[in-house]
Amino acid sequence: MLTYADRLKSMRDTKIRHTLAKREQNGYTDLDDFGTVPITPEYEVEPWYNSSNGSFYGYDGMSENFCRVIDAHPAYVDPMEMLCGRWRDMLVNYRGDLHYMPDWLKKRPKTMEFMKTATNQWSKRWDEQRFPYDDLKPFQEKYNIQTGIDGDAHFACDYRIGFRLGFGGFLDKIEKYRKINPEKQYFYNAEEKVVKTIIRFIDRHIEEIERQIKTEKRTEIKASLEKMLAVNKNIRLDAPKTFHEVCQWTVYFNCASRIYTRDGAGFQLDGLLLPYYENDIKNGILDDETAKFLIANLLLTDPHYYQISGVNENDEDMTNHLSYLILEAADSINIACNLTVRVHENCDKEFLKKAVYYLLKNKNGWPRFCNDKALAEGYMRNGIDKRTARERIAVGCNWMCVPGKEFPMNDTVKINIAKVFDVALSEMKSEKNKSTQRLYEIYKKHLKKAVEVTAAGINLHLEHQWEVTPELVMNLMMENSIELGEDISKCAELYTVGVDGVGLAVVADSFGALETRVEKEKLLTWDEVYTALDSNFADERIRLILSSTPKYCHGGTLSDLWAKELTKSWTNAVKEQKMPKGRQLIPGWFSWARTIEYGKNVGATPNGRRSGEPVSHGANPNPHFRGDGAATAQASGIASVQCGYGNTAPLQLEFDPQVAADEKGVEVVLNLIETHFRQGGTLININVLDGEKLLEAHKNPDLHPDLVVRVTGFTAYFASLSPEFRQLVVDRFLSEL
Amino acid sequence: MIKGLITDIQRASIHDGYGIRTTIFFKGCPLSCPWCHNPECISFEKEILHYPEKCIGCGKCSEGCFAGAKVVCGKEYTPDELLCEILLDKDYYGENGGVTFSGGEPLAQKDFLKEIIRLCKNSDIGCAVETSLIYYDEDIFKNLDFIMADLKIWDGELHKKYLGTDNYNIKEHFKMLDKLNIPIILRTPVIPRINQEIDKISEFSGTLKNVVAYELLPYHSLGTAKAKALCKPITEFEIPSKEYMKELSKYAYIR
Repeated sequence: MLTYADRLKSMRDTKIRHTLAKREQNGYTDLDDFGTVPITPEYEVEPWYNSSNGSFYGYDGMSENFCRVIDAHPAYVDPMEMLCGRWRDMLVNYRGDLHYMPDWLKKRPKTMEFMKTATNQWSKRWDEQRFPYDDLKPFQEKYNIQTGIDGDAHFACDYRIGFRLGFGGFLDKIEKYRKINPEKQYFYNAEEKVVKTIIRFIDRHIEEIERQIKTEKRTEIKASLEKMLAVNKNIRLDAPKTFHEVCQWTVYFNCASRIYTRDGAGFQLDGLLLPYYENDIKNGILDDETAKFLIANLLLTDPHYYQISGVNENDEDMTNHLSYLILEAADSINIACNLTVRVHENCDKEFLKKAVYYLLKNKNGWPRFCNDKALAEGYMRNGIDKRTARERIAVGCNWMCVPGKEFPMNDTVKINIAKVFDVALSEMKSEKNKSTQRLYEIYKKHLKKAVEVTAAGINLHLEHQWEVTPELVMNLMMENSIELGEDISKCAELYTVGVDGVGLAVVADSFGALETRVEKEKLLTWDEVYTALDSNFADERIRLILSSTPKYCHGGTLSDLWAKELTKSWTNAVKEQKMPKGRQLIPGWFSWARTIEYGKNVGATPNGRRSGEPVSHGANPNPHFRGDGAATAQASGIASVQCGYGNTAPLQLEFDPQVAADEKGVEVVLNLIETHFRQGGTLININVLDGEKLLEAHKNPDLHPDLVVRVTGFTAYFASLSPEFRQLVVDRFLSEL
Repeated sequence: MIKGLITDIQRASIHDGYGIRTTIFFKGCPLSCPWCHNPECISFEKEILHYPEKCIGCGKCSEGCFAGAKVVCGKEYTPDELLCEILLDKDYYGENGGVTFSGGEPLAQKDFLKEIIRLCKNSDIGCAVETSLIYYDEDIFKNLDFIMADLKIWDGELHKKYLGTDNYNIKEHFKMLDKLNIPIILRTPVIPRINQEIDKISEFSGTLKNVVAYELLPYHSLGTAKAKALCKPITEFEIPSKEYMKELSKYAYIR
């Protein structure tokens, strides 16, 4: 008789096999795991193109190709699990853009024949033929801007809408509003097609479950499959009614939204599932062990970002029994997991301790922690009411979103301020009177221009996203969209668009080094610095004089002061940018996992960084910011560079692996978290890594295929990362010990 | 103005007492334990640590080394300057954390130590010392939250052989300290084949009512790299295995 523990072990082993198989198919990938399963040999998609540039766009292009991709997906039913359904592939892979095409797809001659117009000439994710932005491109390149043009999916659905309606309810709602808005037929046709395709996906699973039941010999597994069958039949059209059903419904919706555009936003897990849990417990059809198994199964299906704990609009603690079960469930499966604990002074302290305990015990980078006070109060500074600000939950790498209401494009728009600094430094070279203050003036001038160009790109995107990549799956659970017959990119209630700065520590340390070594100590002249930069530090001594300047996050240094000053100018530049139609820009500091890519665009910098080397990560300091790598120094430094409008400057911490999962260890880490949050910090990602294991895995990733690291906002299987990126994680880890 | 000579300041220390702490390493110690893992904290003078592998051959040593090949060890602080460093992490100390004065032997700079403890107390910062108890200063001890004190070798003759002085005074200082009713964490560095009478130290701790923990500190060889950098002779000792430490820990008990 197989127990839940036996089944979880089997599920975890399968996950490890999938991780290795995916690496075989896709090569290394510096991305989130996303919960995909390997492509099967017979899997084949014939894409349909509706654009003369050899791609597909808009309501008809996206809905038709969504059908083709999801219809090609075989059912995924593992009898060890209680939930079924997984995704493997997404339709934007077929846009004919080689930049975004996974390796396995390039090895399919038949598919490549379909995409024979594929080209490297330009990105086909955006329909540049119809919506060109050639006027912006020179500036986007000049300032190394990640434009957000061609982005999608970086917002959050209100799952309550789906839980209330079910897939059948979606169809009814579409029909109802089709009659009210008869001129929006294209929109409603596409939405209807999407929902019916998801229902077909469920139907294929029902067939597969029935097939497996016929051959299953183990009594307890057969019973489990029969339960799975009943659940699937119940939710193919109707709204989910039980805890099991709501978990299964979530898996299907997540599969669909992942297949569409790899959307990854979850919801307040312990809040939205609570009524189903309580009702089932009351009716005697659920026990805690089964609830935990179902949650573990849900987390296994996909590392979506879910928030737990926190307070409601009246500052009352929302932590409940289910919150604890979620932690226990995550512990039982212990895989890549993106749970974020919302921290507020009114929250159950014991729960917080338990969350920290699991972080230390499992050393798998979960949970993360976000600070309610800084996030909610910061967001309210944009003129948002308290209730809405409280609804804005942690559902992405670095970002928050008001589910159902907000279209923030978070994490898709970034300006590389190291590149802006690079431009400013070049401009000052020909001037006679050089100084850090003059350099800062020039930097701010270019920063203003960079933000203007970024804003123009965002506005272009928002005007036309519906014609390029409408959000046909997520629209179903957004307010106004179905009601108005408009894509959510056009009709969201809130457009608080996130713009992140990249390379803070590089620029802060560069200013700090120039002010210290050139202006105060007069160890170097401006000419010597320029000569050194132009030669990419041919003179190593000059590089060392600059790089040994006390750095940002050391505490009390000039670079620390510059980091604060740069935050002020960044925040002002972003907040002062005028936007049309009630839109506003929200500043943050975040590089995502692209520090290597951003670095390649920046020449040698006066902090001793050579040309092309990676830029600093998020709001983090440069490596070797202190001899002791003190976590407290880093936490205080990062707390001092928060932009203060509800978006994050995360603290990414590699913590001492010798901290034990005991009372003292929990106290130490809890103290660090609470103090950083009292100082104004917003989000903490902590890696408690076993150094020996990490170094072994760096040499031979296959030795530890289950090793998970929190790369940036997301966690990833270390074995799947590229050697270059593994080195970056190892360096970061070693420099902070 | 009195000044202290400090080797290093370690923020976010979690292995030198309770909670999150700032550890201040004082420079200078009257003992010269051959296994000392902080040999750069023995001399009362500033020294140069040499790391020739980092030298870039610029030939400008006299203008300052930025490569880390020659590192000045020891920096003078006034009590106020040191307090500024300690205050950087005050928010993190919580109920149990604080500052640990270590070394070297912090009581060897007793006037400076007294003053910095006074300043810390005025700022509501908890204080502790790590000491060999070669010195006894009631004025200092009575202002501490707890004391980490070493009894390195039980046998007096053996103590004299390795440390240059017998341990009679140290044992007496333990007894005197015990009367102050301040928690004591008793510690012994474990050097295999040299100090094996852990049971006797445990028995001794049983006569002291304020010993709250007895910690065995396994010898490690991190000090040898620093001794090499100081151009000091290197004495290697056997590193105790995990099994050895586990076995030995059976004899390390309090009451």
